[in-house]
Amino acid sequence: MTSTEERSKAITSLLNGTIMSVKNTIPVQHTIGKPQLSGESLKLQFGVLIGITGDIKGKLVLSGESNVFSSIGEAMFGMPIQDEMLVSLSGELGNIIAGGLSTNIVQSGLKTDITAPTIIEGNMTISGYERVIQLPVLFNAIGELDLFLIID
Amino acid sequence: MARVLITDDAAFMRMQLKDIISKLGHEVVGEADNGATAVQLADELKPDLITMDITMPEMNGVDATRSIRGTNPDVKIIVCSAMGQQSMVVDAIQAGANDFVVKPFNAERIKESIDRVLS
Repeated sequence: MTSTEERSKAITSLLNGTIMSVKNTIPVQHTIGKPQLSGESLKLQFGVLIGITGDIKGKLVLSGESNVFSSIGEAMFGMPIQDEMLVSLSGELGNIIAGGLSTNIVQSGLKTDITAPTIIEGNMTISGYERVIQLPVLFNAIGELDLFLIID
Repeated sequence: MARVLITDDAAFMRMQLKDIISKLGHEVVGEADNGATAVQLADELKPDLITMDITMPEMNGVDATRSIRGTNPDVKIIVCSAMGQQSMVVDAIQAGANDFVVKPFNAERIKESIDRVLS
Protein backbone atom coordinates (compact mmCIF):
# COMPACT_ATOMS: atom_id res chain seq x y z
CA MET A 1 0.00 0.00 0.00
CA THR A 2 1.51 3.30 -1.02
CA SER A 3 -1.04 6.06 -1.49
CA THR A 4 -3.54 7.22 1.10
CA GLU A 5 -6.33 6.38 -1.33
CA GLU A 6 -5.21 2.76 -1.65
CA ARG A 7 -4.95 2.55 2.09
CA SER A 8 -8.44 3.83 2.73
CA LYS A 9 -9.76 1.43 0.08
CA ALA A 10 -8.00 -1.39 1.92
CA ILE A 11 -9.54 -0.32 5.22
CA THR A 12 -13.01 -0.20 3.64
CA SER A 13 -12.42 -3.72 2.29
CA LEU A 14 -11.35 -4.90 5.75
CA LEU A 15 -14.45 -3.42 7.32
CA ASN A 16 -16.83 -4.86 4.72
CA GLY A 17 -15.02 -8.21 4.82
CA THR A 18 -15.44 -8.33 8.59
CA ILE A 19 -19.15 -7.48 8.45
CA MET A 20 -19.71 -10.15 5.77
CA SER A 21 -17.77 -12.70 7.80
CA VAL A 22 -19.92 -12.08 10.91
CA LYS A 23 -23.10 -12.37 8.83
CA ASN A 24 -21.95 -15.60 7.19
CA THR A 25 -20.64 -17.38 10.26
CA ILE A 26 -22.76 -16.47 13.29
CA PRO A 27 -26.32 -17.82 13.08
CA VAL A 28 -27.85 -15.25 15.43
CA GLN A 29 -29.91 -12.23 14.40
CA HIS A 30 -27.80 -9.16 14.96
CA THR A 31 -27.52 -5.45 14.33
CA ILE A 32 -24.21 -3.97 13.27
CA GLY A 33 -23.61 -0.52 14.71
CA LYS A 34 -21.87 2.38 13.05
CA PRO A 35 -18.13 1.87 12.70
CA GLN A 36 -16.19 4.49 14.62
CA LEU A 37 -12.59 5.47 15.01
CA SER A 38 -11.58 4.58 18.52
CA GLY A 39 -9.15 6.29 20.89
CA GLU A 40 -5.40 5.94 21.23
CA SER A 41 -5.55 2.82 23.33
CA LEU A 42 -7.96 -0.04 23.82
CA LYS A 43 -8.89 -1.34 27.23
CA LEU A 44 -10.24 -4.86 27.32
CA GLN A 45 -11.43 -7.36 29.92
CA PHE A 46 -12.05 -10.47 27.86
CA GLY A 47 -11.46 -11.09 24.21
CA VAL A 48 -9.43 -12.61 21.45
CA LEU A 49 -6.77 -11.10 19.19
CA ILE A 50 -5.80 -12.39 15.76
CA GLY A 51 -2.92 -10.96 13.76
CA ILE A 52 -3.40 -10.11 10.07
CA THR A 53 -0.33 -10.24 7.83
CA GLY A 54 0.25 -9.77 4.11
CA ASP A 55 -1.01 -6.92 1.92
CA ILE A 56 -2.48 -5.19 4.95
CA LYS A 57 -1.06 -5.58 8.43
CA GLY A 58 -3.01 -5.29 11.62
CA LYS A 59 -5.08 -7.17 14.12
CA LEU A 60 -8.68 -8.15 14.62
CA VAL A 61 -9.82 -8.07 18.24
CA LEU A 62 -13.15 -9.43 19.47
CA SER A 63 -14.13 -8.15 22.87
CA GLY A 64 -17.15 -8.79 25.03
CA GLU A 65 -18.49 -10.36 28.19
CA SER A 66 -17.53 -14.01 28.39
CA ASN A 67 -21.21 -15.00 28.52
CA VAL A 68 -21.69 -13.38 25.10
CA PHE A 69 -18.99 -15.65 23.64
CA SER A 70 -20.59 -18.60 25.43
CA SER A 71 -24.07 -17.89 24.03
CA ILE A 72 -22.75 -17.36 20.49
CA GLY A 73 -20.88 -20.67 20.80
CA GLU A 74 -24.04 -22.39 21.94
CA ALA A 75 -25.94 -20.97 18.94
CA MET A 76 -23.18 -22.08 16.55
CA PHE A 77 -22.34 -25.48 17.98
CA GLY A 78 -25.45 -26.50 19.87
CA MET A 79 -23.99 -26.95 23.32
CA PRO A 80 -23.40 -24.72 26.34
CA ILE A 81 -19.70 -23.95 26.74
CA GLN A 82 -17.93 -22.93 29.93
CA ASP A 83 -14.58 -22.54 31.68
CA GLU A 84 -11.50 -23.72 29.79
CA MET A 85 -13.50 -24.74 26.73
CA LEU A 86 -14.95 -21.23 26.64
CA VAL A 87 -11.44 -19.78 26.23
CA SER A 88 -10.76 -22.22 23.42
CA LEU A 89 -14.13 -21.54 21.79
CA SER A 90 -13.50 -17.77 21.92
CA GLY A 91 -10.16 -18.25 20.16
CA GLU A 92 -11.84 -20.38 17.52
CA LEU A 93 -14.62 -17.84 17.03
CA GLY A 94 -11.91 -15.22 16.40
CA ASN A 95 -10.16 -17.59 14.02
CA ILE A 96 -13.38 -18.25 12.10
CA ILE A 97 -14.27 -14.55 11.76
CA ALA A 98 -10.71 -13.56 10.80
CA GLY A 99 -10.45 -16.52 8.40
CA GLY A 100 -13.73 -15.44 6.78
CA LEU A 101 -12.44 -11.88 6.57
CA SER A 102 -9.23 -13.03 4.91
CA THR A 103 -11.28 -15.10 2.46
CA ASN A 104 -13.71 -12.27 1.70
CA ILE A 105 -11.11 -9.61 0.91
CA VAL A 106 -9.40 -11.67 -1.77
CA GLN A 107 -12.05 -10.29 -4.16
CA SER A 108 -10.73 -6.80 -3.41
CA GLY A 109 -7.27 -7.96 -4.42
CA LEU A 110 -5.94 -8.19 -0.85
CA LYS A 111 -3.96 -11.28 0.03
CA THR A 112 -3.62 -11.86 3.75
CA ASP A 113 -2.90 -14.58 6.25
CA ILE A 114 -3.89 -14.77 9.90
CA THR A 115 -2.10 -15.84 13.07
CA ALA A 116 -3.30 -18.31 15.68
CA PRO A 117 -5.55 -16.51 18.21
CA THR A 118 -4.31 -14.93 21.44
CA ILE A 119 -6.78 -14.87 24.33
CA ILE A 120 -7.09 -11.76 26.47
CA GLU A 121 -8.29 -12.12 30.06
CA GLY A 122 -8.09 -9.59 32.87
CA ASN A 123 -7.32 -5.90 32.43
CA MET A 124 -5.37 -5.28 29.27
CA THR A 125 -4.47 -2.17 27.31
CA ILE A 126 -3.51 -2.32 23.64
CA SER A 127 -1.71 0.65 22.12
CA GLY A 128 0.97 1.52 19.56
CA TYR A 129 -0.95 1.22 16.32
CA GLU A 130 -1.77 3.65 13.55
CA ARG A 131 -5.53 3.56 13.87
CA VAL A 132 -8.35 1.44 15.15
CA ILE A 133 -11.93 1.10 13.98
CA GLN A 134 -14.52 -0.13 16.42
CA LEU A 135 -17.48 -2.08 15.09
CA PRO A 136 -20.17 -2.86 17.67
CA VAL A 137 -22.36 -5.88 16.93
CA LEU A 138 -25.51 -6.40 18.99
CA PHE A 139 -26.74 -9.99 18.98
CA ASN A 140 -30.46 -10.42 19.72
CA ALA A 141 -31.15 -11.79 23.21
CA ILE A 142 -27.42 -12.32 23.79
CA GLY A 143 -25.61 -9.02 24.06
CA GLU A 144 -22.91 -6.97 22.42
CA LEU A 145 -19.61 -8.00 20.93
CA ASP A 146 -17.16 -5.27 19.95
CA LEU A 147 -14.93 -5.90 16.96
CA PHE A 148 -11.81 -3.77 16.69
CA LEU A 149 -9.88 -3.55 13.44
CA ILE A 150 -6.41 -2.39 14.31
CA ILE A 151 -4.29 -1.09 11.45
CA ASP A 152 -0.54 -1.16 12.12
CA MET B 1 -15.04 -47.54 10.28
CA ALA B 2 -11.89 -45.45 10.03
CA ARG B 3 -9.19 -44.73 12.60
CA VAL B 4 -8.95 -40.94 12.80
CA LEU B 5 -6.34 -38.44 14.02
CA ILE B 6 -7.74 -34.98 14.77
CA THR B 7 -5.51 -31.91 14.41
CA ASP B 8 -6.56 -28.46 15.65
CA ASP B 9 -4.93 -25.98 18.03
CA ALA B 10 -8.30 -25.20 19.64
CA ALA B 11 -9.34 -27.78 22.26
CA PHE B 12 -12.92 -26.78 21.62
CA MET B 13 -12.67 -27.62 17.93
CA ARG B 14 -11.04 -30.99 18.72
CA MET B 15 -13.92 -31.73 21.08
CA GLN B 16 -16.45 -30.84 18.36
CA LEU B 17 -14.72 -32.94 15.73
CA LYS B 18 -14.28 -35.87 18.10
CA ASP B 19 -17.97 -35.77 18.96
CA ILE B 20 -19.07 -35.61 15.30
CA ILE B 21 -16.61 -38.25 14.08
CA SER B 22 -17.33 -40.68 16.94
CA LYS B 23 -21.07 -40.37 16.33
CA LEU B 24 -20.47 -41.25 12.68
CA GLY B 25 -19.07 -44.56 13.92
CA HIS B 26 -15.37 -43.88 13.44
CA GLU B 27 -12.66 -44.28 16.06
CA VAL B 28 -10.68 -41.19 17.11
CA VAL B 29 -7.24 -42.63 17.88
CA GLY B 30 -5.38 -39.40 18.62
CA GLU B 31 -5.50 -35.61 18.88
CA ALA B 32 -2.77 -33.15 17.92
CA ASP B 33 -2.72 -29.44 18.80
CA ASN B 34 -0.19 -28.40 16.16
CA GLY B 35 1.24 -29.57 12.85
CA ALA B 36 4.48 -30.96 14.29
CA THR B 37 2.60 -33.18 16.76
CA ALA B 38 0.32 -34.31 13.93
CA VAL B 39 3.32 -35.42 11.87
CA GLN B 40 4.67 -37.38 14.86
CA LEU B 41 1.31 -38.96 15.74
CA ALA B 42 0.56 -39.81 12.11
CA ASP B 43 3.78 -41.83 12.08
CA GLU B 44 3.13 -43.51 15.44
CA LEU B 45 -0.61 -44.20 15.18
CA LYS B 46 -0.91 -44.90 11.44
CA PRO B 47 -4.47 -43.50 11.19
CA ASP B 48 -6.63 -44.03 8.08
CA LEU B 49 -7.79 -40.43 8.13
CA ILE B 50 -6.46 -37.13 9.49
CA THR B 51 -8.37 -33.87 9.98
CA MET B 52 -6.01 -30.93 9.68
CA ASP B 53 -6.46 -27.30 10.74
CA ILE B 54 -4.26 -24.77 8.89
CA THR B 55 -3.55 -21.84 11.22
CA MET B 56 -1.67 -23.40 14.13
CA PRO B 57 1.44 -22.64 16.19
CA GLU B 58 4.68 -24.64 15.70
CA MET B 59 3.89 -25.99 12.23
CA ASN B 60 0.93 -25.01 10.07
CA GLY B 61 -1.43 -27.55 8.55
CA VAL B 62 -0.23 -27.15 4.96
CA ASP B 63 3.38 -27.94 5.93
CA ALA B 64 2.22 -30.82 8.15
CA THR B 65 0.10 -32.23 5.30
CA ARG B 66 3.09 -32.07 2.94
CA SER B 67 5.31 -33.79 5.50
CA ILE B 68 2.81 -36.57 6.24
CA ARG B 69 2.08 -37.10 2.54
CA GLY B 70 5.82 -37.44 1.91
CA THR B 71 5.99 -40.59 4.00
CA ASN B 72 2.43 -41.88 3.77
CA PRO B 73 0.79 -41.80 0.33
CA ASP B 74 -2.34 -43.66 1.49
CA VAL B 75 -3.64 -41.76 4.52
CA LYS B 76 -6.65 -39.54 3.77
CA ILE B 77 -6.26 -35.93 4.88
CA ILE B 78 -9.20 -33.53 5.25
CA VAL B 79 -8.17 -29.93 5.85
CA CYS B 80 -10.65 -28.05 8.08
CA SER B 81 -9.90 -24.33 8.11
CA ALA B 82 -11.55 -20.94 8.47
CA MET B 83 -9.30 -19.74 5.63
CA GLY B 84 -11.47 -20.60 2.64
CA GLN B 85 -9.82 -18.58 -0.11
CA GLN B 86 -9.02 -20.39 -3.32
CA SER B 87 -5.25 -19.97 -2.95
CA MET B 88 -5.38 -21.69 0.45
CA VAL B 89 -7.48 -24.57 -0.90
CA VAL B 90 -5.04 -24.95 -3.80
CA ASP B 91 -2.04 -24.90 -1.42
CA ALA B 92 -3.63 -27.57 0.76
CA ILE B 93 -4.55 -29.81 -2.18
CA GLN B 94 -1.08 -29.40 -3.71
CA ALA B 95 0.43 -30.33 -0.34
CA GLY B 96 -1.53 -33.57 -0.51
CA ALA B 97 -4.92 -32.94 1.13
CA ASN B 98 -7.83 -35.03 -0.20
CA ASP B 99 -10.57 -32.58 0.73
CA PHE B 100 -11.10 -29.13 2.22
CA VAL B 101 -13.87 -28.14 4.67
CA VAL B 102 -14.38 -24.48 5.56
CA LYS B 103 -15.17 -23.61 9.19
CA PRO B 104 -17.66 -23.24 10.66
CA PHE B 105 -18.88 -26.68 9.62
CA ASN B 106 -21.67 -28.98 10.75
CA ALA B 107 -21.89 -32.74 11.23
CA GLU B 108 -23.44 -33.22 7.80
CA ARG B 109 -20.56 -31.46 6.04
CA ILE B 110 -17.99 -33.58 7.92
CA LYS B 111 -19.92 -36.76 7.08
CA GLU B 112 -20.01 -35.88 3.37
CA SER B 113 -16.30 -35.20 3.32
CA ILE B 114 -15.34 -38.38 5.20
CA ASP B 115 -17.64 -40.50 3.00
CA ARG B 116 -16.12 -38.95 -0.10
CA VAL B 117 -12.46 -39.43 0.82
CA LEU B 118 -12.99 -42.98 2.11
CA SER B 119 -15.00 -44.13 -0.91
